[in-house]
Amino acid sequence: MDELIYTLKQQIIETLNLEDMTPEDIDENASLFGEGLGLDSIDALELIVLMEKNYGIKLQDPNQGKEIFKSVAVIADYIAKNRTK
Amino acid sequence: MTMEPILITGMGVVSAIGLGKAQTLEALLAGRSGVGPLKYLKTEHKEFPVGEVKLTDAEMCERLGISLDAVTTRTALMGMLALEEALNEAKLTQEMLPQVGFISGTTVGGMDMSEQYYLDYLHNEAHKEYIAVHDCGSCSEMTANRFGKFGFSTTLSTACSSAANAIILGANMIRCGEADIVVVGGSECITKFHLNGFNSLMILDPQPCRPFDATRHGLNLGEGAAYLVLESAESAAKRGVKAQALLSGYGNACDAFHQTASSPEGEGAYRAMKEALELAGLQPTDIDYINAHGTGTPNNDASESQAMKRLYGENVPPISSTKPFTGHTTSASGSIEAVFCILTLQNGFLPVNLNWTQAMEDGIMPLTQPTKKDLNHVLCNAFGFGGNDSSLLISKTRDCETQDKEQKTCITNPIYVVSAKQISIQQPLSEEWMDQPIEYNVPFTRSIDPSFKDYVSPIEARRMGKILKRAMATSKEALKAAQMETVDAIITGTGYGCVENTEYFLDALSNEGEQLLKPTYFMQSTHNTISSLVAMQTKNHGYNVTYSHKGISFDSALQDAWWQFQLGKLGTAMVGGHDEMTETFYHILKKGGIMGQDEELCGETAVSIVLASARRCEERSHPEYLCKLTAFRLLHQPTMDVIKEAVKELLHSSGKTLTDVDYILTGISGNHHNDQAYHEETKTLFGKTPLLRYKHLFGESFTASGMGFYVAAQCLKVGRIPDQLFVDVKQITGKQPRCILIYNRSDGKNVSLTLLEA
Repeated sequence: MDELIYTLKQQIIETLNLEDMTPEDIDENASLFGEGLGLDSIDALELIVLMEKNYGIKLQDPNQGKEIFKSVAVIADYIAKNRTK
Repeated sequence: MTMEPILITGMGVVSAIGLGKAQTLEALLAGRSGVGPLKYLKTEHKEFPVGEVKLTDAEMCERLGISLDAVTTRTALMGMLALEEALNEAKLTQEMLPQVGFISGTTVGGMDMSEQYYLDYLHNEAHKEYIAVHDCGSCSEMTANRFGKFGFSTTLSTACSSAANAIILGANMIRCGEADIVVVGGSECITKFHLNGFNSLMILDPQPCRPFDATRHGLNLGEGAAYLVLESAESAAKRGVKAQALLSGYGNACDAFHQTASSPEGEGAYRAMKEALELAGLQPTDIDYINAHGTGTPNNDASESQAMKRLYGENVPPISSTKPFTGHTTSASGSIEAVFCILTLQNGFLPVNLNWTQAMEDGIMPLTQPTKKDLNHVLCNAFGFGGNDSSLLISKTRDCETQDKEQKTCITNPIYVVSAKQISIQQPLSEEWMDQPIEYNVPFTRSIDPSFKDYVSPIEARRMGKILKRAMATSKEALKAAQMETVDAIITGTGYGCVENTEYFLDALSNEGEQLLKPTYFMQSTHNTISSLVAMQTKNHGYNVTYSHKGISFDSALQDAWWQFQLGKLGTAMVGGHDEMTETFYHILKKGGIMGQDEELCGETAVSIVLASARRCEERSHPEYLCKLTAFRLLHQPTMDVIKEAVKELLHSSGKTLTDVDYILTGISGNHHNDQAYHEETKTLFGKTPLLRYKHLFGESFTASGMGFYVAAQCLKVGRIPDQLFVDVKQITGKQPRCILIYNRSDGKNVSLTLLEA
């Protein structure tokens, strides 16, 4: 799981173009939207693309993302359970 | 301030519900939608219903009598169909067009061809003739030139409010007395590019769209074109043409909230509608019907509902969205729906909001039954990405007084050029080039960028291409130098817009197919991203538009500002010219013969200029400024005689003669053909007045004329001309510049004249 969390952080930094951040800067339990990292709805859409491209997980509805994208740890857990690649 | 209504003496329309007004009216009355399964666009996304115009490109060519081999685009073809109907109805013939303006709105431009031939552009010589029609301005010119030579032409590109803003510019042009007749509107075809773009934003509904419904799930894309003929009352009376309806007010405001979402309280929409009412001198209760923007996305309809409730409380007038009829015709929606509004005024009915069944929470209740009603005033909303929100107020024809009264308020006042900042291939945000210019011996180079950390936070920067960061930096520095927090209007020109992101998206589309495209690339590919981001970052809800018409994009922005200053509408404005270029696009444009010919140096330019009226300039604690802008004219494909006359008028209007002009600043760039024209024309027009140039230092770009403006303004400020700017070293006299005329000839045919004085 730790390895998945680290990889996921790297992928998030790359996908969202968080230029000055390293995986260590992201607390896997902190919230990604609102207070924590301060991501927004476009980032949620980018994360949906990331999920499909890297893990074969298709999310049809941006609202579904709200639950899954709570924190890096929650996403990693969802990936572990639902990945198809 | 209220306005005299402007007559609408002709209109033409093409959309999914029909070709021409008659078919359109019939479909609206019958409640017959044109949205259905995808048929004409070649795409994998068959799951989305769309509102296509029911003709292939070849069928449109046939109807128009255009050769099937002609280089054209679907946007231009639909535009021609609509324009033909409008010109016919207003009885405008080819001979009259040099006195008539043509202002069109589009965002997609020739993307339908670029997305088909992109790999050819990259790898071989095939289809290279289509490179020249990629941009928005080319589509307007193709559309217009089919019918003759219009006296003025430009292109608005503010995403889905483009056509509405074209109507607003045309109205301002008439109110300033610059033209009696202006044809305004927009055209946009569906492309894979934006179908996939909207899909990446997850705002397309796989079902027919249901605006203002509780179950709404997104929009259906549509396409089409519509043009209106705006005309002054005297002109219509003189020509003996009847008004179909009146344009009695309009408003443009920026939501300044988010690139792709509207604010929860609908700030931009509210301000745009309120402004339209104020300009018309009407109360909200005078409005009989509102044609809502109503796209069917959860966000738009919630936000627009709030804006209406703020304006009306619980007593909103009858409202419907006609998007379920046509799909969202994006850039053309403002003029297509304006035609619908005119049809409702003329025929006394309210179009139904198709597909609506359940009230949404906190939403407005749209019309569900076709209703007969005598109408006097209707509002037509068109909102765009970036919060470029506009509203038009259209009224039933009544007797109009002539417009003498208002024209007298339009007087030529000097506008103060308060500050100007640049990022280019010279030292960024600095005037160092005046003493130590960098000389290049490469054909293309990208700008020297400053550190952007002082202007945008990392979290904001993650979604900004170079062009956006440069716009932020130059705008913020220009405001700081102007000692202003904000301005009344942000008006931007960009010839090719966010090239970097367009390229990423085209690359992905061409190489990886129509799956998993990045929304970040798409949302930055619309031209108005620049202007609206500046508004967002400076919290500016004022007038906000973007021009995209090749080499006159900056000049068009300046023309808009000039007219609004003359109308007394603006006290301050930020006018920008921004273009970026990538290696890939440079090679494509070189192949297409558009840039980089002969010894031309190509660069990237970002210029932000703060302008102010005399009063606003003087009321600051340190009323410093660079120079005064005393006259400006933008001419569309003028003959030498037209230019001569314009120069005469320009000088006369500011109390000057040719001998008062110390220097002529030209756009001589190393392109032999253009340079020869510059030499010949300036010799005829200005005799031996010393010629200056700047493009050999800053490079050619679509908005390089903005850099020319900046260069002239700095020279006037410091009171000297750097030797490097002289075309002929024999003309270096050390004479202090007091008056510089900028002579800009772009795309080999359009000319702008700018008079700057110390």
